[in-house]
Amino acid sequence: MVEAPPVTQDKVVAENVNVYYGSFHAIKNASLKIPAKSVTALIGPSGCGKSTFLRAIDRMHDLTPGARVTGKVLLDGQDIYAPEVDPVVIRHRIGMVFQRPNPFPKSIYENVAYGPRIHGERNRKVLDATVERSLRQAALWDEVKDRLHHSALGLSGGQQQRLCIARAVALNPEVLLMDEPASALDPIATSKIEDLIGELKNEYTVIIVTHSMQQAARISEFTAFFHLGEIVEHDTTSNIFTRPKEKRTEDYITGRFG
Amino acid sequence: MKGAGGFVIIAMAFLFGYLGLEGTKTFFVDHVSPLTFLFSPTYAPDAKQPGSLVFIVGSLAITLFAICLGGPIGVAVGVFLSELAPPKMAALLKPSIELLVGIPSVVYGWLGLTLLVPLIRALSGTAGFGLMAAGIVLSIMILPTVITLSEDALKAVSPFLREGSMALGATRWETIWRVVLPTAKSGLAVAIILGVARAIGETLAVQMVIGNAVTLPTSLFSPTSALPTEIVIDMAGAAQGSPLQHALFSMAFLLLLIAMFLILGVKLALRKR
Amino acid sequence: MAVSAAKPGGAPLLTVPSNVKIRRAANNVMTGLLWLCACGVVLMLALLVGYLFYLGYGALSWHFITAPPSEVTAGGGIGPEIFNSFYILCLTLIFTVPIALLSGIYLQEYAKSGRFRQIVIFCAESLATVPSIVMGLFGLLVFVYLLGWKFSALGGALTLTVVNLPALMRVTQEALGSVPDTYREASMGLGATRWQTVVHVVIPSAVAPLITGIVLISGRIFGETAALIYTAGLSVSVNNPYDWSLFHTAETLAVHLWYTHSESLVPDVARIGNGSALVLLIMVLLFNIAARFLGRALSARFTGRVS
Repeated sequence: MVEAPPVTQDKVVAENVNVYYGSFHAIKNASLKIPAKSVTALIGPSGCGKSTFLRAIDRMHDLTPGARVTGKVLLDGQDIYAPEVDPVVIRHRIGMVFQRPNPFPKSIYENVAYGPRIHGERNRKVLDATVERSLRQAALWDEVKDRLHHSALGLSGGQQQRLCIARAVALNPEVLLMDEPASALDPIATSKIEDLIGELKNEYTVIIVTHSMQQAARISEFTAFFHLGEIVEHDTTSNIFTRPKEKRTEDYITGRFG
Repeated sequence: MKGAGGFVIIAMAFLFGYLGLEGTKTFFVDHVSPLTFLFSPTYAPDAKQPGSLVFIVGSLAITLFAICLGGPIGVAVGVFLSELAPPKMAALLKPSIELLVGIPSVVYGWLGLTLLVPLIRALSGTAGFGLMAAGIVLSIMILPTVITLSEDALKAVSPFLREGSMALGATRWETIWRVVLPTAKSGLAVAIILGVARAIGETLAVQMVIGNAVTLPTSLFSPTSALPTEIVIDMAGAAQGSPLQHALFSMAFLLLLIAMFLILGVKLALRKR
Repeated sequence: MAVSAAKPGGAPLLTVPSNVKIRRAANNVMTGLLWLCACGVVLMLALLVGYLFYLGYGALSWHFITAPPSEVTAGGGIGPEIFNSFYILCLTLIFTVPIALLSGIYLQEYAKSGRFRQIVIFCAESLATVPSIVMGLFGLLVFVYLLGWKFSALGGALTLTVVNLPALMRVTQEALGSVPDTYREASMGLGATRWQTVVHVVIPSAVAPLITGIVLISGRIFGETAALIYTAGLSVSVNNPYDWSLFHTAETLAVHLWYTHSESLVPDVARIGNGSALVLLIMVLLFNIAARFLGRALSARFTGRVS
């Protein structure tokens, strides 16, 4: 159990967010405050909308035809869904790591340098430094420093996922969204990722979706419990797991349903 | 049932056998050297000088034109279908492509004759027949092949890769250009190679607009000839067993070899992935 | 927080830096270009079809469609040629469909790996790439010269069989492949042999894409020319233009169009050409439309679901 840090300014605030897929109401009036430089876990049974909510934070639903998002998501107080905002800018400041590692069929170097390159960085020295910094932050540098120009597809599953994390942090985002990042990995790789998250929270605000309550308890300071598209309860992790306020939360925690 | 499958093998064997036999008579019976056949610009088969350079160059020229024009446009439409097309547009585009494929090559030739050649004549002051006319007609004819194969190649790229790229803040075009297209490289190469194969073998449409002059092309507008067009024109008048007929069969055999070469190219491209 | 080298790291503003404006503009330009190409293709088709109708409309008449062609005078028709096109089409299908079906079944349902399968697939793919004029010369060698049939409908049909076999085999394989394995497993689990499974379960499920494919390929066979010029010939018999024998010289409509353009001596080449081109186009349209409707109707009838 991680101790809650002193209260700081909220980095991300969701206000009355609704997500519709066609006529299906996937996320119902979700409001949530995420403090800066912390780890917030989103938990709940499968299909309850945690990933859907996560994707709404970096406007990934823009890519899905037929998906509609209403409400506000504030990044440092400014609504990212305002009409004049280009999602490209948002995704520079909010990074995402997916459930299954998805490295590009390029070299390790090119994977990590992809983000900075498209956002305009051309200076080779800066790119080299950025790649090294990112790979170190992802605890991958020592394993790959001699084969940066080999294909990323030659890495193991756990290494690929850490590469995807490196790729995301290469842009120095302020918020890191992680959608069940270890669920496709073996236990050893999983614990490496969890250790990593403990380090990353010193630099970034992390929001992680996880289907494992134990994982949430291990690594997060705050937890939000989702059920049927609604945020049922949101509190410090220790409160959620020891003194849940809602019956549904308690039922889920104690395993009455899952 | 195994026999049915074997039918294609037998057909292939016979094809190579008979065409090889007949096609090499130029060399063995008429005693023409293969170098003369391939590289001499003098085409006088009855005088034992069936230099087919004109036709080879003509074929290569129109194929190059077709692939330079039809290739990029075909890939572009393939990208459109795979990445951008709203369902209504796809529902309009796909049957259109099916129809384009279905139009017989004589009809394309006829359209070239009645629509394109007069247009070129009016715009350029030349006769209108020649490389450009044949190249444009061929570009249109290879479009469906390149489009459908490109689309297949692009659709085979995992959607997770696109998602990853967009999540890093790339625009849709950047994702296409930097991730999707490079990943689909080998499939796109196949699309182009098969487009080339279609262009090289196309006979009638080309014959109707290329001018059929046995001269090396000197400009985009000069009438010339290609391997298939020469075959189809002169075969009617070639007496059985004559050196002319032997020469024409040699050209056919050459086309067969080129087709096999392209198939091997496809295999190579697919292995690289 | 370390400031990243890429702009605008850490800046709290959501306003758009210049780099993004350019990238967004590039994205819009390229998207526009792609749309242009796609619309261009559709418009071009419309233009071609429209032009053919415009050219050939005046030539169409009952007389044109039924009368025999004329060698020297004006006023010829295309009746026998249309007959020959259908005749050769049917003949070709009689040979091609069984062989393609059986080969396709063999490749898709029985031989999943192995040397023989690889060779068969290689030969099929290679045959598909061979230009049809080369096939036509092959037919000339075998049917006209070797077997001595002279120009004949049968020779043409057999040549076209070899030309279209790979395509029909692929259609069969794809149609069979579209049937989910769960159907096969269910059938074999009930004790059926593989052959019974194929005939009673797999093929009925695959009927729609199969028929669609056959009809579409028929459209292509109807328009085939290069392979027929020197196998089925360039003329129809004057005395017996609707000859039903297998060995009659059978100029098809597509071949006739080419012949009219290149060799014919009649003064009204334009009229005959325009009319023939339009009739060919209409036939292809009909085949395409029929393929779509049949596909949908059969799918609903045989499987209860619309494909």
